[in-house]
Amino acid sequence: MHNRVDKFKETARAEMKNELSQAFLLMLSLGAPIMRQIGMSSFPDPAAAEAYGRAIRTESIERLPELLEEFKKNAQAKGAKVIWARDSAEAKASVLDIAKKRGINYITKGKSMVTEEIGLNEHLISNGVDVFETDLGEVITQMLSRAPFHIVGPALNVPPEEISAVFLKRGVIKQPTVNPVELGKAVREYMREKFRYLDMGIVGVNMAVAETGTIINVENEGNIRMNKSSPRTLVAIMSIEKVVPTMADALHMVRILSRNCTGQKLTGYVSMDTGPKKSDEMDGPEELFIIIVDNGRSEIYRDIKVREILKCIRCGACLNACPIYAKIGGYPYGFSYSGPMGQILNPMLLGIEHTSDLFRACTLCGACKKICPAGIDHPSIILEYRARQIKDRKHQTLSARFENNLATCSSLAMSSSMLWNLAVKTVRPLFNSLAEDGYIRDMPFGAKGWFSCRNLRAMPDKTFHEIWKKLNLPNPDDVRKKETL
Amino acid sequence: MKVSLFIPCTVDLMMPEIGVAVYRILSHLDTRPVYHSGQTCCGQPLYNAGYRDQAKRAARHFIKVFGDDEYIVSPSGSCVSTVKQHYAELLADEPSWCDRARNISKRMYELSQFIVDVLGITDVGASFEGKVTYHESCHIFRALGISEQPRKLIASVRGAELVELGNATACCGFGGEFSTGFPEISEAMVKAKAVNFINTGADVLLLNEPGCLLNISGYLHRNHPQKRSMHLATFLAENTREFSHA
Amino acid sequence: MSSQVRNEILSKIKSAQRNDPLPRPQLPFLSERALDREQMLERFTAELTSQTGTVYRAKDRKDAERVLSEIAAAEGFKQVIAVGKNLQGIDIKSFGNSNGITVRTLADLKDREALRKAAFAADAGITSADFAIAETGTLGIIFSKDQPRLASIAPPVHIAIVSIEKLYPVYEDAVKQVFGNVNEIPSQFAFITGPSATADIQAISFKGMHGPTKVIVIFIMGQ
Repeated sequence: MHNRVDKFKETARAEMKNELSQAFLLMLSLGAPIMRQIGMSSFPDPAAAEAYGRAIRTESIERLPELLEEFKKNAQAKGAKVIWARDSAEAKASVLDIAKKRGINYITKGKSMVTEEIGLNEHLISNGVDVFETDLGEVITQMLSRAPFHIVGPALNVPPEEISAVFLKRGVIKQPTVNPVELGKAVREYMREKFRYLDMGIVGVNMAVAETGTIINVENEGNIRMNKSSPRTLVAIMSIEKVVPTMADALHMVRILSRNCTGQKLTGYVSMDTGPKKSDEMDGPEELFIIIVDNGRSEIYRDIKVREILKCIRCGACLNACPIYAKIGGYPYGFSYSGPMGQILNPMLLGIEHTSDLFRACTLCGACKKICPAGIDHPSIILEYRARQIKDRKHQTLSARFENNLATCSSLAMSSSMLWNLAVKTVRPLFNSLAEDGYIRDMPFGAKGWFSCRNLRAMPDKTFHEIWKKLNLPNPDDVRKKETL
Repeated sequence: MKVSLFIPCTVDLMMPEIGVAVYRILSHLDTRPVYHSGQTCCGQPLYNAGYRDQAKRAARHFIKVFGDDEYIVSPSGSCVSTVKQHYAELLADEPSWCDRARNISKRMYELSQFIVDVLGITDVGASFEGKVTYHESCHIFRALGISEQPRKLIASVRGAELVELGNATACCGFGGEFSTGFPEISEAMVKAKAVNFINTGADVLLLNEPGCLLNISGYLHRNHPQKRSMHLATFLAENTREFSHA
Repeated sequence: MSSQVRNEILSKIKSAQRNDPLPRPQLPFLSERALDREQMLERFTAELTSQTGTVYRAKDRKDAERVLSEIAAAEGFKQVIAVGKNLQGIDIKSFGNSNGITVRTLADLKDREALRKAAFAADAGITSADFAIAETGTLGIIFSKDQPRLASIAPPVHIAIVSIEKLYPVYEDAVKQVFGNVNEIPSQFAFITGPSATADIQAISFKGMHGPTKVIVIFIMGQ
């Protein structure tokens, strides 16, 4: 997938003018939190269930090294082949190698965010192994070469006309149709042939259970179960943070994930695989490869201030809660992960210097933190990135130096009321010279963006400081303070 | 009871009438408001923008100014949240300052929270004939968990009918530098807030966060000049006969 | 090479600063545990029905054969695949003969290719289920030599026959049995809750995406 994280602002502007995107975003931002709420309230004690889920994720991350080793040991004991990959190149090479050695012509895939992150499809296809996404939304985004609009519904916003056109072109349908059910059923038929003769499938992993070496996938469409049933070779790709301690923990997290993802109490299918098929079984993979991908996670793990990013279970609840995502959708984030999830993860994967708009495009409203079933404090991480960016760049460019000096001057004024009041007296006439009828409507410098839709009141003649002084109220404390400050 | 006023910089510079209203309400409720004229800004804009060294300077100044004051009360949830929830971490590498930050955080109160929870008062004696609605500002509602308190204060205003604002807890799109850095997105957000306000048919939109007020009132002034938004303190003070001319 | 990569990744995270996770809060209470059998059956039925599934209660295996025949007639099955250890004693071949349906069982399928052919061609997959979970109207199936995976996912209709003895309140009841003995963990265990579904285009939801369009559960209430 093409990484367009540097085009945040222009993509956002375009998406805000896209009526179809806007209609879906409105529906999503209003409907999805209600669905989630209904799902969560089916717990006898929703707060206790949420707290327990957060505790599982915290413990899973704090115990990550042991849990990973335990998972590996148990998965191998059951006959899975565990492959480790430091980065996307190693992961991609491993999958290609497996496919090439087995003379594979095509692969079908279950929805997997980490494979999008590493650009697996492009690598396999350019090396002569065809790849078919099978999740309906992913089928559409793959055929349109488009980033996911939403982690759960990657093509929710794509108009049926556009889907019909690309399906016609790819031979999925013979006659155009804009009926979503017909379009979906056509993909069913198209994919059945692929599944029927499949030799190799690829799936992601929602949870890897340390105590049993089991990989768990949750889904509704049945495409993952097809991928895990029909072919002789199965590759499951997971990033290192997917591990949970026990099956009991996994069950609780499945309950939490389903409710947060789609508002369901349980997704249609939860498949739990421990090793490849037994020798006497007729279907299921003869070989199960589990590729454990780092791709930057160990660095996140070592970075104690942002480590909690790894608690994320990719449910998408934060996207549905984010007021900014609700206006711009998933495309502007320019990468596999969008919304608050992407705002905290992408800077670590792509570099803080390349993702400034991601962690600046936030009002710190805290809706993501409040809804997060993993207990991630997104605003704190976003603030941390801002601080790191300032620290890294403050001497680099002229404008960065200027802004840094401006901040320093402000802080000096903030640490002395005398300077503060002096600054106010200096700025006020300049500022107010822009005002008409007591309001400023535009500004030739500085905070120009403000005035695109807003006025700003001119500064009143007196600050509160000055009014207070004029009130001349006895305040013995100030005498003391004056002496000490 | 001595109450130390913390008047945020936005109020000091742009909306001093909110500070006056806070003073009047608290005096009326038989407390003794004091104001350290050494105060400036809590440093939130610097902190949020990532200028931590500079924000530290502002934080240390704030801690010095407010010293041992038992009740520090502010008409801004985001400033209270900055001091309460971020100072200690900001000053983590300066242990003695960090301790002082932890200590001062226990003495910080958002205005409505102070009136309702500490003073135990819900009726300040205001009356208003008309419909009002209330915007749940992010830092008041989510960061500080304050929602009941301002609602109780509004509910006690004689004659006032509180109607629910659609999507009341949604961010208004201010976010400090966000509003100027991402003007189109910010506009879409504040516009949605204004539309929800207009749809309530309320006469006044009440809120208790100066940042949100700058944003929403600025938008309304440009686009819907007949619609009013007000800080809860100003609303209460203006509509309480006994002290409105104090 | 992989072990070197593994060591590198693990040593990076092992050498990182560690925080002690706080002790776990109390395990949340699951109200379903208090249900008696009839309540479990009601709950199971309500949950599965809400997913467009159908639940039948058969008095015994004879009655189950009657229910199966009714379903077959209504759905117009021509060929089905039937798997699962003795299918709760149902005489599936005689069911096929008396209803004019071609029934393929494991005895008819010599290898993976034959199985795939039969499963993708079948109008229905008849399987047993090892568990029924009241919590969400969920089937639990252990896949094994007697229970291939495709029979419950490839055909457009999935009919699961399950003894009422296997109805439990919550997922944990099944998982404890399936994963309790580390040497007897199946290659795959799956929870199935209703037909396959999607809402990926325009948020219009429909059943029967890649898996079955219909899921039918027949409980055998007695022997």
